[in-house]
Amino acid sequence: MTQLALVIDLNVCVGCHACVTSCKEWNTSGSAGYLTDENPYEKDPTGTFFNRVQSFEIGEYPKTETVHFPKSCLHCEDPPCVPVCPTGASYKRLEDGIVLVDFDKCIGCRYCSWACPYGAREIDEQQKVMKKCTLCVDRLYDESLPESERKPACVLACPTSARLFGDVHDPESVVSVAIREEGGYALMPEWGTKPANHYLPRRKIRKPIHEDELQRADNPLNKEQRKPRAPVDEPTLDDSTSW
Amino acid sequence: MKKVRYLELEGKSASFNFLAALFAGMAALGAWAFFHLEHSGHADTGMNNQIVWGLPHVFAIMLIVAASGALNLASIGTVFNKGLYKPLARISAWLSISLLMGGVIVLVLDLGNPFHIDYMFTSFNETSIFAWNILLYPGFFLFTGIYLWTMMDTSKRNYYKSAGTAAFIWRLILTSGTGLIFGLLVGRIGFNAAIMAPMFIVVSFSVGLAFFIITLMATYKWSNRPLGCVLLKRLKNLLVIFIAAAFYFAVIFHLTKYYSMASQDLESWLLFGDSVHTKLLWIGQVVIGTLIPLALLLIPRVGECNTAIFSAAVLVIIGTFCQFFVTIIGTQAFPQQVIGSDYQVIASKFGDADPYHVYSPSSWEVMLGLGGLGLTFLMVLYGFKIMRFLPESLADKDLDPHAKSA
Repeated sequence: MTQLALVIDLNVCVGCHACVTSCKEWNTSGSAGYLTDENPYEKDPTGTFFNRVQSFEIGEYPKTETVHFPKSCLHCEDPPCVPVCPTGASYKRLEDGIVLVDFDKCIGCRYCSWACPYGAREIDEQQKVMKKCTLCVDRLYDESLPESERKPACVLACPTSARLFGDVHDPESVVSVAIREEGGYALMPEWGTKPANHYLPRRKIRKPIHEDELQRADNPLNKEQRKPRAPVDEPTLDDSTSW
Repeated sequence: MKKVRYLELEGKSASFNFLAALFAGMAALGAWAFFHLEHSGHADTGMNNQIVWGLPHVFAIMLIVAASGALNLASIGTVFNKGLYKPLARISAWLSISLLMGGVIVLVLDLGNPFHIDYMFTSFNETSIFAWNILLYPGFFLFTGIYLWTMMDTSKRNYYKSAGTAAFIWRLILTSGTGLIFGLLVGRIGFNAAIMAPMFIVVSFSVGLAFFIITLMATYKWSNRPLGCVLLKRLKNLLVIFIAAAFYFAVIFHLTKYYSMASQDLESWLLFGDSVHTKLLWIGQVVIGTLIPLALLLIPRVGECNTAIFSAAVLVIIGTFCQFFVTIIGTQAFPQQVIGSDYQVIASKFGDADPYHVYSPSSWEVMLGLGGLGLTFLMVLYGFKIMRFLPESLADKDLDPHAKSA
């Protein structure tokens, strides 16, 4: 079974929110829209976002660092939000593993929000139904788009290519390779929800350099005589031409 | 024991009209709040993405839990053959129906899309405990309604015991279902515990009895009907046992959650933090809802006083309200630790970087909750006026404390 998912590289995410804005732009005018904004230009704006970036501080001073953490629905392989939904409005597609909400069937009980251990559910304040990331399902199969653009809006927008998209069940897909080779991990595996989305960890790149590496082994000056330097008390070219 | 004679309330006194106007006013406020929120959306509530169930759910769940507990008095008479309680059965059944109606109305009106409630039946998801609960409510109305019918229609007396037993079993299932709404939440460290079902049943005993005592004492006082000390003393003793049992379950629940490393941070924050939830838990649930009522009921001479029993019942309801507030809202207010409890969100453009989520209920939510309470007691009041639910006398001389049910 295909299981589409995102892999987010926390090592290169710079917290620019391009994924947030592109997601909002696409989805508010797409089939999952609109995404309500309340008081967008006032003191306490609130709104519906399928993708949010939170910034975490890890470590203790002075060894601290900031991790920008994009958070959206993880499209769990065993999603706890689906069985709890009283009307079956939350469902998981068999063909590609995307977890979706049928707004017409949603009664707005918000019980799925209780069930999600990741806090990925969004209550739309105006429409009063639960919403969440759709992996831009309305882009993925849209043949009017060039094939290179049949990806989630956030993936296309990310300036550092921190977001990868593909089938995690295909071992040769870009996401599977990234997970396998770069230490991709799922959030809170102890819940047994098998999140499809994975994160690539922060990685410190340290290269040990030995002393002899600082010496140029084929330096021709080791064989030839070094260029003689003029005595310090003789006039330089500048001195001789300054008059 | 004398044959019990049931009489309607006359319902013409100034106090009756005042109460009817008061409860109708509360119900109207609830209706106003519903239409306002239906029009303007959840932005006018204190709820958000983190706290998705607010004050109306606290009211709703307390009323639903109290409903099944209020039926207890009838069950003691019918199922367990305690004749003293038999005259109370009609009041008990009607009060439980009214409480459930108030609770379910608030629950439904607090849904985002209450007009889609029919999908619960046409698109029933059998793996959802929430869906099963929606089936349990009409079942309770049905079983308790039939039970009430067999009590009042002498031609159906043969079915009285069976109907009472069925209603009793259904109420246990109903409250288990309410508890399991939280008990089956596998994704929340504060819940996912089998104890939620029996704990809700025991809490229903205490808060249901408290509602019953208040209703009984107020009705008999205002209608000038005799209410004997023997019955009140029995109710008082029952209330003591139920308060203690509910407290025992609460202690075990918090202790086991505190012991578990997975939920220790949450429990530490609830039990020893500086949030409003800690205050509500200790002052509301423990002191006001448990210790003071127990003291009022157990201190010799004080406990014999009707005012003390009535006050204790009121305090139990306040304490239970606080308990549900902490259970429902407190656990949502504690942030979900998505990438580990050692890390703290320092910044978020979405206003969700607080150490814990703050919930301030709006006046609309208060009105909606009070609307359910008003509807409940409006139903109780007019039920007593229209139907013969109230024994003419509950004086000691008219009751035999050792009688077995027929």
